[in-house]
Amino acid sequence: MARSFLFIPGNVPRMLQNMDVFEADAVIIDFEDSVSASEKEDARLLTERFLTFHEVSVDVYIRINADKALMKADLNAIDSLPITGIVLPKASPDTLNVFEYLNEYKPCHVIALIETPDAFFKFEEIATHTCVKGLFLGGVDLMHALGGTMSKETLSYPRSHVLMAARAHGLYAIDTPWTTSDDDALARDAAYAASLGFDAKAAIHPNQVHPINQAFMPSVKRIEEAKRIVAMHEKHGSMRFSLDGQMIDKPVIDHAKALLEKVHTYQSGGENDV
Amino acid sequence: MAKTITVGSLESSDCMITLKEGTGNVHIESVVAAAFYDHIETLVRRVLKTHEVRNVDLTLEDRGALDYAIEARLIAAIKRYKGDDNG
Repeated sequence: MARSFLFIPGNVPRMLQNMDVFEADAVIIDFEDSVSASEKEDARLLTERFLTFHEVSVDVYIRINADKALMKADLNAIDSLPITGIVLPKASPDTLNVFEYLNEYKPCHVIALIETPDAFFKFEEIATHTCVKGLFLGGVDLMHALGGTMSKETLSYPRSHVLMAARAHGLYAIDTPWTTSDDDALARDAAYAASLGFDAKAAIHPNQVHPINQAFMPSVKRIEEAKRIVAMHEKHGSMRFSLDGQMIDKPVIDHAKALLEKVHTYQSGGENDV
Repeated sequence: MAKTITVGSLESSDCMITLKEGTGNVHIESVVAAAFYDHIETLVRRVLKTHEVRNVDLTLEDRGALDYAIEARLIAAIKRYKGDDNG
């Protein structure tokens, strides 16, 4: 379970070699927007060579290209690499079909980038695809397509919709990256995304990782409260009781257990469950 | 006109490789040449041989690239030189 997904350009050795030290729970090696057309093959080769000969301790995803010819070359290049999954840009039923005729491709683990208006009308098809494990809001491209600008207000509907679709289908929900260098604003935005219910947020610079990890880590107060709820439930075996004047029932107990499980996962360095 | 291909960068941990029609000369400039010149030359010649590249001169400007990066950049250069780049 990851709180932070850090984008790393696939054609920059200095970034590839340091992916372990940025403290991101997961990294996304990028073959798409941060790599120029003339460097696509270099990015594939650098990534393939690096991951073949160097062990890493972080979950690794690769963002492939949306263009079908480039996508096929990307998938062929990474076919046998020890990665957790693929980030699919401009996800649509059409782009997901590329996986159907690449039978040898593994793993069947895709995070779908929701960054076109069209995707919002095709959530059912995207979210129910057997390989899709998470939905990732791409706010910059979406706002560009809509003709708007990124703000808390303009992202309100897309965030809610992506989150609803993810939860409805049992998928991981990742919030859009923050694109300015204002660290305080990033911290507020990450905390807001966490409060909505997102599981994680993307980062486009290593400096963004720590504030994001902090925002998605439950507070000590919430952890202590959850521990007391679970302890009380286990002591009395009751599904309904009162604690500090608050009525506790099954949804609250389940939520407390889930929160403690999430904290345990973060503290143990994460697992490959997204 | 003789073809010349240049790939890579002069950023830290990277290298820039130039291939042009020639007779198999290898020229290496590296910030770690004192310790690793022979190692880098052996790596470069192995990759050229594996990819059956003969009639080229190679210039490598190294900024501390690890083996995987030198190999990847050189394979990219060879593919481009042969017109075999997937874009």
